[in-house]
Amino acid sequence: MKIIDLIKKQGDFELRTKSVTIEEGKIHGIIGGNGCGKTTLCKLIMGMILPDSGKIDYEGLDIREITMTAQRPYFIRGSVYENICYPLKIRHIQPDEQKIDAWLFRCGLEGKKRQYARSLSSGEQQKVSMIRALIFDPRFIMIDETLSNLDPENLELFEQVILEIQKERPVTWMLISHRLAHIYKMCEVLHFMYKGEILASGSKDKILFGTEDERIRRFVANEVIKMEGNHAAFKG
Amino acid sequence: MQVIKEFLDTFFSDVGVFDAICVTFQMAFSATFISSVLGVLLGLLLERAEFIGKKIVIRINRTLMGVPPVVVGLIVYMLLMRRGPLGKLNMLFSIQGMIFAQVLIITPIICGMTYTSLVSRAPAIRAFARTMGATPIQTQWLVVRELKNELYFAVVTGFGRSISEVGAVMLVGGNIKGHTRTMTTTISLLKSQGIFTEGLTLGILLLLMAFIIQSLADFFQRGEKSDENY
Repeated sequence: MKIIDLIKKQGDFELRTKSVTIEEGKIHGIIGGNGCGKTTLCKLIMGMILPDSGKIDYEGLDIREITMTAQRPYFIRGSVYENICYPLKIRHIQPDEQKIDAWLFRCGLEGKKRQYARSLSSGEQQKVSMIRALIFDPRFIMIDETLSNLDPENLELFEQVILEIQKERPVTWMLISHRLAHIYKMCEVLHFMYKGEILASGSKDKILFGTEDERIRRFVANEVIKMEGNHAAFKG
Repeated sequence: MQVIKEFLDTFFSDVGVFDAICVTFQMAFSATFISSVLGVLLGLLLERAEFIGKKIVIRINRTLMGVPPVVVGLIVYMLLMRRGPLGKLNMLFSIQGMIFAQVLIITPIICGMTYTSLVSRAPAIRAFARTMGATPIQTQWLVVRELKNELYFAVVTGFGRSISEVGAVMLVGGNIKGHTRTMTTTISLLKSQGIFTEGLTLGILLLLMAFIIQSLADFFQRGEKSDENY
């Protein structure tokens, strides 16, 4: 996928990207401070909003094979099962009960299949949202802070799931997270955004530790200080 | 039916109460059905379409939500009278004419309520549908399905307005016994004849019937919600 000179204005904010290639079959990470345009970029890729200029070359990828999970996922009126089946239903695919049960069991949601989805806790909702996004085997998955409410154990579970899927079939992932450790662990390619621009794209080590750009260095340093602070507070 | 008719005749004066009840419900159900289809579709269109003057259209619709029925009645009367532009349709002093007037009164209400619900909730539903890969038709269907409680409320409000309306119905229908006389126009007639007790009884009967219909509709709504909660 190629993102070519996108410009999108939203009030005072302007997203402006140079040409960026999203390599197929890799796990990409988007990092950057709050309001730098990460979600806007995902929405543009998803076709939820249209750019003012520039374009996205999907290179033959059908838009219906792209999915995105949000930080606050939306749930249709109905049970967990109905929500998970929704993407299958609209594709006229018969739900594989065993597969759904296996997913629910793996995520610790067994017994919640018939529960009203909106009555779940936020962590459980994020897990259902992930299952719903994965159930129809999309080829391009964007995870916009969806895993942020998960506890370390469940976060690790989904990290494992992502890596397993990655081994099974070529899926392009785009992870957005403020957890630098999670991003570093999962991603092969990183894109750093700053005030609506993609400042740098490349391997994670190059972006996080090999850059001369002061803005990226400052962001990484702040995140590391935060992590160390949390660690010290925990020990102290 | 004959038994109910005779039963009502023993309680009320010779004003055709049974026929008035039949006319009332025939008119209210027909007008609510037509207005619901039109109002929901217009509400969906209004929310989705972007055009110059949209804000004015919304404002006009909101104004029409509170239009006095007697004004609508007068306009419809002028349209349907023999020398009026629609005089050839022979709809004046008929149930069809009354339904026409009621559709004009109720449609803006249902349209306005539909639009207000959509504006606040439809964008999130559409965004979700997009992430799931839904087609435009599937997306629109999902929006309607997700907002069915709000749409139900709009329809119920429209029905309430229809069944309780008297001004337009009186003007367009002419309050002809056994033909266009409704429960509300009967109450008005009984009052003018000084038969207050019967008027009040008929009023209570009207409320009771409206209550039963609302309760039936609520019953089906509640059934659906409890299904969802498992």
